[in-house]
Amino acid sequence: MAPNHGPFTKTNHQIPISTRHQPTISTTGVSTGTSTRTRDSNIVSASGTDLSILTQFHAGYFRISLALCSQALLWKTLAEPTTDAHALSGIVRTIPSFAFILLWLIALLTLLLLCSLYMIRCFLRFRNVRAELAHHVGMNYLFAPWISFLLLLQSTPFLRPSSQLYRVLWCAFSVPIIALDVKIYGHWFTQGKKFLSMVANPTSQITVIGNLVGARAAAKMGWRESAVCMFSLGITHYLVLFVTLYQRFLGSDSLPAMLRPVFFLFIAAPSMASLAWDSISSSFDISCKMLFFLSLFLFVSLVTRPALFKRSMRRFSIAWWAYSFPLTVLALAATAYAQDVKGVMPNVLMLVLSVLSVVVTIALMVFTAFKTHDILPHDDPFACYSIVRHIST
Amino acid sequence: MEKNDLQVEIPSVLKQSSCQNIRGFDCVDCENGNDLNPLGNTTSDKESNEESVASSENTKSDREGIVIDIPSMTSLSSLSLSLPSSPSGLHIGQTKLVVHPEKCKNTNQNNSLNLNPQLATQKQYRSLPILLAERTGRKLVHSDTVRDSRFDPFKTWSGKLERKISNLRGKPTQEEDLEAGGTNKHEIEEAPGVDRYFDALEGPELDILRATEVSVLPEDEKWPFLLRFPVNAFGMCLGVSSQAILWKTLNTSPVMSFLHISPMPNLILWWASLVLMVLVSFVYLLKIVFYFEAVKREYDHPVRVNFFFAPWIACLFLTLGVPPSIAVNLQPFIWYILMAPILLLELKIYGQWISNGQRRLSKVANPSNHLSIVGNFVGALLGANMGLKEGPIFFFAVGLAHYMVLFVTLYQRLPTNETLPKELHPVFFLFVAAPSVACMAWAKIQGDFDYGAKIPYFIALFLYMSLAVRVNFFRGFRFSLSWWAYTFPMTGASIATITYTMAVTNIVTRSLSLCLSAISTFTVSTLLVYTIIHAFVLRDLFPNDISIAITKKKPKFRKMLAQFRSSSSDSKDFDSSIAKGLEF
Repeated sequence: MAPNHGPFTKTNHQIPISTRHQPTISTTGVSTGTSTRTRDSNIVSASGTDLSILTQFHAGYFRISLALCSQALLWKTLAEPTTDAHALSGIVRTIPSFAFILLWLIALLTLLLLCSLYMIRCFLRFRNVRAELAHHVGMNYLFAPWISFLLLLQSTPFLRPSSQLYRVLWCAFSVPIIALDVKIYGHWFTQGKKFLSMVANPTSQITVIGNLVGARAAAKMGWRESAVCMFSLGITHYLVLFVTLYQRFLGSDSLPAMLRPVFFLFIAAPSMASLAWDSISSSFDISCKMLFFLSLFLFVSLVTRPALFKRSMRRFSIAWWAYSFPLTVLALAATAYAQDVKGVMPNVLMLVLSVLSVVVTIALMVFTAFKTHDILPHDDPFACYSIVRHIST
Repeated sequence: MEKNDLQVEIPSVLKQSSCQNIRGFDCVDCENGNDLNPLGNTTSDKESNEESVASSENTKSDREGIVIDIPSMTSLSSLSLSLPSSPSGLHIGQTKLVVHPEKCKNTNQNNSLNLNPQLATQKQYRSLPILLAERTGRKLVHSDTVRDSRFDPFKTWSGKLERKISNLRGKPTQEEDLEAGGTNKHEIEEAPGVDRYFDALEGPELDILRATEVSVLPEDEKWPFLLRFPVNAFGMCLGVSSQAILWKTLNTSPVMSFLHISPMPNLILWWASLVLMVLVSFVYLLKIVFYFEAVKREYDHPVRVNFFFAPWIACLFLTLGVPPSIAVNLQPFIWYILMAPILLLELKIYGQWISNGQRRLSKVANPSNHLSIVGNFVGALLGANMGLKEGPIFFFAVGLAHYMVLFVTLYQRLPTNETLPKELHPVFFLFVAAPSVACMAWAKIQGDFDYGAKIPYFIALFLYMSLAVRVNFFRGFRFSLSWWAYTFPMTGASIATITYTMAVTNIVTRSLSLCLSAISTFTVSTLLVYTIIHAFVLRDLFPNDISIAITKKKPKFRKMLAQFRSSSSDSKDFDSSIAKGLEF
């Protein structure tokens, strides 16, 4: 197969924008055109020497924004006065509030950056975007920007949930989620090639998480019916997806080893469901507890299987960012649990999980800062498919 | 090797033993056509066939001689043939001639005469005497004190532990120098993958060897007792201890007070189950110590692995059924101790469902998987009885989520799933176990028998009824020890009905509880009678545990083996097994 992009290859040497995230964000060009060329020429799947970064940028990069926005939400929740007086809250309250605002702003900036990059990609590389939509892993990450926006909305220090702007923004972010729902869930049971049993993989849980985040935001706003509507959408498809993923049909083995970190999404979905139901029913009742415990069990189950992640941990890649968001959501659920069930064990659990999620996120940020070229879009699992799909379209 | 190769310097081992004494060693004297080797004794030829076939499978691939020993009733016609490595029609033809020894002894002799000239002209690989001698381990010249090492691959550290212990006891074996070469290591079979279990075994409990398969160990001899003791034996503890709980409930529950049941049955049954539990655990512990490899194979077996939950569930049952005269309020730490092994086992097994390549659920799902789920609900029930709050909810949540997955998978009866029997089998009663215990656990957690408990209860009742009306279809199965494990769902359903009667009391529910309790008691008593008959009269309570003795690779010449076995079995079975064998 002749490696080519056809007429769409442009030989512009776009300077790739670094995705470093430090308190002072800086967008420095990381490489010149020649070094891009030498890097690309080593890639087996590369289709030539003049690959544009935009071609290989994909929605998986929104994992970074998911991680940062959920961190912002976690810090906000921990700092709330309703959180039980505990060592952690004590530490959290000593940090000045402008640090939270800074974190929120960083998250916002990253998200806007990634969004604009993706928009440019839509305009210039529409074929690749279409190919991504068709891919069974890529299509789920289209939910990620909207989820990040909703998380930011919930964690904003500037708006109150009852304000008009909040509601407008919620609508603006939820409508795309519902539109994507209709498309993707409809595919699951109507389209020939995209039956659920064929395309189900752990990243499909992002679709469920999208609905649940929307439900939680709506409940916070006071719109109960919309909240219950989105919750029921999410939980029903979660039921189906959970069973399918556990059964692991032969067709579902299509997740490359590099993407194993997305198994952590098994933790994120029930935790998010627990949080959403908590907001809807205004108390952490038994269903929330059961969902939280299920998520905890899956967490322990995955953590005790390091062999599963060995291959993906050999080299730093954007997939590593997939560890952060689920851990943060689990910590959020643990916080809600500790708020309701007061005692030593829940607080210890909350402490441990929160610290873990913070440490993991900071570690990822440090890794990204030092190994930026590893995280840039080349030699990425998605890179292959976009080329292959492009040729077939 | 040509004739002059026979003059080659023979290794010292061979000098010690003559070919006449070593099973499987063929001495074909090419000069004298009549001298095809009559091997010494033939009383236990059949098992040596199996074993030599099995051993020949395990030889390295560059030595492809297959030795087939043909059993016979007389002393003469035991014959061994080395097949040369080149598959020419001539050699296959030769083997065909000697396949049916029982029928024509005379023709055997004639055939052997005819074979000789052909053999003489062919290059042949000799079967390795050293390897076979080591494997039999018994037919050396100084065979008085030689240990039976056929079962070594199944022993802990391949028999080294046993040798050490016998050394300590002052009975050194003389095999040390012979085995110093470490040939045993070559013979250690790695545990077969899960695919092999499905290929080699059939039946609802995957315990029947297919006709095209051979077992690694001799099938006609009685294996050592520990090797025959399966983990299913814990099913007995499950059955008896659940009965103890039933009689405790009948005694203590106010709605059944019209029966005036005394506390005695509960006490007796509880002590009996305690004693049984201690006994079975002790024996199995011995098996773990001495036959660790066999235990590992049981763990790899897709149906047996679920029975590893049985000891812990039985302990939970014992705690639930403890008579009021012995203890009323139990300390919570007991619950934590009992649930810890279940949690660890669960983490391992559910994790395999979701991430292991070979043991994915769509492949291995079978009704016995319910045993791995029920433990969660029983633990939740016990914890709620003890007054704990969060722990029971944890296990209930985990159990419910995984039960849903299993239930859907089993109901789907996927074509990739082979282990569900087409006909009904007592294992189907396990379907009733999870909802009945779940409803009791939920009722205890919530404090009353609300809708969350009623719904699983009605599901359990429906499943019970749909199985009970089909009781005719349960006939015709070979009795096995694991049937005890299938009685506890019946008992569980009865206890759930009594619990339901406490919430909704009327004549219908009362008679239903009475009826179900009577059925379960009757079933257990019948099973007890059967067990006693099999244990003492028929003496086959612990048959050879074939399911752990499958070979790692498919045996070669399956057709021949099947033909061989079909001489004593149905032709219909033969056809189906051939069809199966030829699929590969």
